[in-house]
Amino acid sequence: MYRNRHVTALPKPFLFITTFLFVTIAVYAQTTIPVKGTIRETGTQKPVAGVSVKAKTANIGTSTDENGQFSLLVPSNDILLITAIGHTAVEQPVNGQQLIDVTIATTSNALGEVVVVGYGAQSKKSLVSAVATVKADEIKNKPVASFDQQLQGRVAGVQISANTGIPGDGIFFRIRGTTSINAGNDPLYVIDGVFINNQSLQKITTQGQANNPLADINPADIESISVLKDASATAIYGARAANGVILITTKRGQYNTLPKVNANAYYGSSWAPELWDLVTGPEHATIINEAWINDGKPASTRPFRLKSEGGRGLPEEQPTYDRLHDIFRTGNLQNYDLSVSGGNDKTRYYIGGGYNKQQAILRTNDFQRASFKFNLDQQINSKVRIGSSNLLSRSYRTNARVGDGPQGGILQAALHTPTYLPKFNDDGTYAKWAGFDNLDVLIKYTDMHSTSIRYIGNMYGEADLLRNLKFRTSWSIDYNDYNEYEYWNSLTNRGSASKGLATSSISKNAIWITEQTLSYKAKPGQHSLGVLVGNSVQGAVETVTSAQGTNFPNDSYKQIASAATTTSSSSSAGNRQVSVFGRLEYNYGGKYFAEFNVRGDASSKFGTNKQWGYFPSVGLAWLASEESFIRDVNAISTLKLRANIGITGNQNGIGNFASRNLWNGGANYLDNPGTVPQQLGNTGLSWETTRQTNLGIDLGLLKDHISIEFNLYKKYTSDLLLSLPLPVTTGFSSISSNAGEISNKGFELGISTTNISNRQFTWTTSFNIAHNINKIEKLDIPVDASYSAERMIQGYSMHSFYVYNQLYVDPQTGDAVYEDYVKDGKITADDRQIAGNAQPKYFGGLNNNLRYKGFDFSVFFNFQFGNKIFNNNRFFHESGGTRDDRRAINKNQLNRWQKPGDITEVPRITTLGTNYTLSPVSRFIEDGSFIRLSTLTLGYTLPKKLTTKIHTNSIRIYASGANWWLWKKYQGPDPEINVTSDPNVQGYDLGTPPQPRTIQFGINISL
Amino acid sequence: MTRYLYLYLAFFLLTTSCRKFLNVQPQQQVDASVAITDAVSAEAAVNGLYNRLGSDGYYGSNFISLSYLMGGDIQWTGSQSAPSQIAARALTADNSNIASAWMAIYRTILSANYIIDIVPRLTDPLLTEAKKNQYQGEAYFIRALAYFDLARAWGGVQLITSPTYSKTDQEGIRRSSLAETYAQVLSDLDKAEALLPATVNRNKATQKTVWALKARFYLYQQDWVKAESYASKIIDDAANYKLLKPYNAFFANNVTATAESVFELAYSTSFKNGHYNWWLPPALGGRREWAPNNNLVTLLNDPAIGGNRNSLIAQTAPPGNLWYGKLYYRNPTGTDPAYLMRVAELYLIRSEARVKQTKLTQALTDLNAVRDRAGLSPATAATPEAILLAIENERRFEFAFEADRWFNLVRTGRVSSVLNISDPNKFVFPIPISEIIADKYLDPNLGY
Repeated sequence: MYRNRHVTALPKPFLFITTFLFVTIAVYAQTTIPVKGTIRETGTQKPVAGVSVKAKTANIGTSTDENGQFSLLVPSNDILLITAIGHTAVEQPVNGQQLIDVTIATTSNALGEVVVVGYGAQSKKSLVSAVATVKADEIKNKPVASFDQQLQGRVAGVQISANTGIPGDGIFFRIRGTTSINAGNDPLYVIDGVFINNQSLQKITTQGQANNPLADINPADIESISVLKDASATAIYGARAANGVILITTKRGQYNTLPKVNANAYYGSSWAPELWDLVTGPEHATIINEAWINDGKPASTRPFRLKSEGGRGLPEEQPTYDRLHDIFRTGNLQNYDLSVSGGNDKTRYYIGGGYNKQQAILRTNDFQRASFKFNLDQQINSKVRIGSSNLLSRSYRTNARVGDGPQGGILQAALHTPTYLPKFNDDGTYAKWAGFDNLDVLIKYTDMHSTSIRYIGNMYGEADLLRNLKFRTSWSIDYNDYNEYEYWNSLTNRGSASKGLATSSISKNAIWITEQTLSYKAKPGQHSLGVLVGNSVQGAVETVTSAQGTNFPNDSYKQIASAATTTSSSSSAGNRQVSVFGRLEYNYGGKYFAEFNVRGDASSKFGTNKQWGYFPSVGLAWLASEESFIRDVNAISTLKLRANIGITGNQNGIGNFASRNLWNGGANYLDNPGTVPQQLGNTGLSWETTRQTNLGIDLGLLKDHISIEFNLYKKYTSDLLLSLPLPVTTGFSSISSNAGEISNKGFELGISTTNISNRQFTWTTSFNIAHNINKIEKLDIPVDASYSAERMIQGYSMHSFYVYNQLYVDPQTGDAVYEDYVKDGKITADDRQIAGNAQPKYFGGLNNNLRYKGFDFSVFFNFQFGNKIFNNNRFFHESGGTRDDRRAINKNQLNRWQKPGDITEVPRITTLGTNYTLSPVSRFIEDGSFIRLSTLTLGYTLPKKLTTKIHTNSIRIYASGANWWLWKKYQGPDPEINVTSDPNVQGYDLGTPPQPRTIQFGINISL
Repeated sequence: MTRYLYLYLAFFLLTTSCRKFLNVQPQQQVDASVAITDAVSAEAAVNGLYNRLGSDGYYGSNFISLSYLMGGDIQWTGSQSAPSQIAARALTADNSNIASAWMAIYRTILSANYIIDIVPRLTDPLLTEAKKNQYQGEAYFIRALAYFDLARAWGGVQLITSPTYSKTDQEGIRRSSLAETYAQVLSDLDKAEALLPATVNRNKATQKTVWALKARFYLYQQDWVKAESYASKIIDDAANYKLLKPYNAFFANNVTATAESVFELAYSTSFKNGHYNWWLPPALGGRREWAPNNNLVTLLNDPAIGGNRNSLIAQTAPPGNLWYGKLYYRNPTGTDPAYLMRVAELYLIRSEARVKQTKLTQALTDLNAVRDRAGLSPATAATPEAILLAIENERRFEFAFEADRWFNLVRTGRVSSVLNISDPNKFVFPIPISEIIADKYLDPNLGY
């Protein structure tokens, strides 16, 4: 009966729901008994997690938890088949026993692990590509809002950098270098088969910064993350895969497992380990007076002289106000997760709930997330399965303007207001200086908040059509409602003239996708064959509705309904894509592997004749350690060689209608509607394509106590999607074009070792390092990044700084000497030149895990070397008196040239000449290398005897700290900064909240 | 079994053969081919043209600021290096404010070119001949003003007189000489004069607006007779154009389009004047990044020099005591007009034109009309040189926050002695280096 029903029901999604509703819990066979036990490693007696425990005849199974424990309902006369990666299999008869503890011995080969890849899973052994897998457990101790930031330093070749120290803010994420200028460089994120949006929907500006939509996902619900790096792994994702693909698998229940409850909680604090060094009031006054005198103006009228003489008072009379310590605080961190998972022989489930709250170290910035996760799989009969993954979350942020721009800028008000200037006017009202808001007003009254409601869901049906032929249909949606509000009260600069200013913006973004795949597997003799074909149809629509109100009765009324003057606006845009794809896998004898992938994509974004693009890849691998001549070498336990090549595409970041000539409305005059030319289209616009080759070697030594993965890669991106500058005499400043080429080449090395492993004590180490060389191979016209210190020029790498080169400060005159690069006898715009770039030469991480009896200890460093930062904050703070009472001055300014013979790089203070007016200047380019003690964790698992007494499975308590040590050369508080979420700007500091130092105490309980 | 395969196949075909599915249309924009098709869309395009003229990069603030910052009386208090370079008259070719003015002007020209190209060909019966003429006339006028501004700021420029439909449309055009550029201005002004009605509209171009710009044009051309006669055409129209008393009567108390204005751009909450919060101090919700410098404050406050034009400035409460400009103050509505041509300018144009024709008494009458309005006693100058200097000084305070001082000093050749600039190459702005790079047919201005 079931069978007939599902056959007709399958393609109709609404019947899936009906099916869910009618799912009944199966009744167990009379002869089953509950069995539980612990699986340990022979010798070390260390519990082994993730061991498959299966009843041989009943064909039901589970796997062990992190304490090596399992529980299963099995027929009392069955045999347990116990298998684990890197261990020999064991068969253990049940014989009616309810407690079965088993020890298993390690084997030499670690390639048995199963890795999630695009549209499937493969054993690590059969991989021809470079795929890194990270278990969520390994990275969970870093108390940040999103999993992408937790990955920092964990995966070779993946460069991750937080733009600011504010939780939930944007992350700079690159897999194997920057491949694009305008089409985006973020990888494709796929969670349980759903292509999710990772572009911020934020519309109310926080001045350049943007929220990170990935923070909507609770890291605690994640089981593992696969990072697909090379073309063989990513080509199946075709036109969106050029920047790599991140596959996220969330936690699911286990069949035939009693309900398992996991509870985790932590509580902690965060603070800024270092802030900026500003001069005192008297020092500020001295500098300004010095500029006055050096400018040749009469000392009698210097600004800081006696008040009775009309001055601002003598330098030594100036007070000093420390606004930085007003704005930075010790923030609270708290996190609670609770999950229940389990299953019977037909159904498995995972239900998780979480709450996370993080106060930023910078006042008025908070992040809160409440999340709910529900995953269900149901076997309808022996051939048909259906299931669903659902994630619902609400992220609530209180924001502030933390980036560029004085108006309402909370960090700017603290960092840039000269320290000698008072907080209040003589009449007791709030004083405002130099275009900045009064900091106390901002701290008290900043009211910006946003709520993100996110649903990411998927339903699938799977049917075994023939013994080896499987059909799968999958329907997914990523829906995000991003609701922002700001109210600037009448004391703030933004709200004062307008008697209050409120903005509401509601963005709704929906990405829907449906995919159908057919897969076939066969193993005739020594041959092993896998085939996958599929198609996908998807669409995306974003609508934005916004309103603004001014002129409020008073500051108690904050909603636009109370405003006397209102304006509103709405917009909507979308795009669609259809795709077909396929994969062919073949191996002979488990030694020789070949794989072929292809995807065809058509997107509505491109010109009608250029809509289709095809992306193939081919990969080969040889598991040499299976050959007898290597198997005999004792030291070598694993040796595998891989090679692949393929083409992938990129279409992000460009407008939905970039191929067309468009006119825009909204250019009104005299309150009548007006229209203007908006865009010059390019009907030939098409994909950006990246050709990538990868050579890899996997080496295991000494029974895989040492395992090494090494990859060499080369990426060549052509037909760059580029806003090509046009002569503006055309009336347009740029046109979307396929122009330019970028290459990336480099290597990645990962080493993990088991240094000590015995019953009492284990110590494992993993280290990774990557090196990437990026070069713009072809670019007809240089392109400036949005902050003009960076320019893209053919022959140089992306994120290169383009500046006037300060050679030295003349010891005789104290004047800065700039390089006359074109040798025409004067300093002009032509003398700017490339001076370093913001990309690290080397980056990676080093992790050590130690376990002694119940204690566990881990220490993790991440590092990067060779990247430069343009410290524009210093340009403002070291302005040689040119900014007088309008900007704070930093301590480094005190190192200025004062008298003939002084050797310094800080020129003579003056408002004249080019000492302090030329910009951007190489003096502000600094080394951004750092080594950070990313996390440090000490945990203790309570003895089993104790925990069973209180009817729990295990209890672990721990303390963890982040960012407890930082080695840097950078003058600012933290080299991990960026002024903006604009992906083409990197390493540009305009005063950014530093990474917090944190300490947290937590407990993990499993029942 | 076969049912599965059919289903799959059907799905496959359905989704892959879907050209229609991929045909997504924009909802917020329209294709350029249907942008101007009838009376309604032509009118919208003309509105868009005024919007371009009043955009932030052009008369909405930036272009005006180039003139007053270069003029030496205004300081820049903000952090950006581009305006501080301008205030220090130490321009480099990568100055972003110069580049954005250049861009805003050529964008305005593009809109005008579209109207000039398409409107004559429209066949909508609702679009009367009078309307057609008016729209084209407005486009010719604005294009004339745009090339006039390019010429006085950068010298001879590339003359673009047709719309851009593809990226190669304007390729290969080199810079015209200064004379050729001014010839283009005159040709456009003549066309506009013939097409526009002789009505009074202070916010849009009419024949009278053309006359006023012609007066200024001939002043720059040193054609004193014509400058005088075109200025007279406006001044003599006393029913419509007159000097208002006191000085601030043309801008204070939220007035717009007063009898003082020959041409001002109107702003509204949906089209804000970019200037509106840059001059006010933080205490009044502004940024005060442009502010009168000490020298100008002193002069404006001198009753014998500034007269009642001290109403242009005010000071904040202690301990700040910051002087700020008050010409642009309508925060948050942003409805401050941009003053492009006021009748005061026509008096000073005519005064100068008359000095050059040695009609000194008449010249003094015009000058004193402006002085009288500012609450000043008649000028004491007697020689032509002294009167010219008096006119120059009058302009300095009369148009302190408008687009005049720099261009006027360059025009009269006095810029080297007044602002101490010895290199004549620096009398024009640099051609933006980004444009030099993007366009191989564009030659830079010497000296940058």
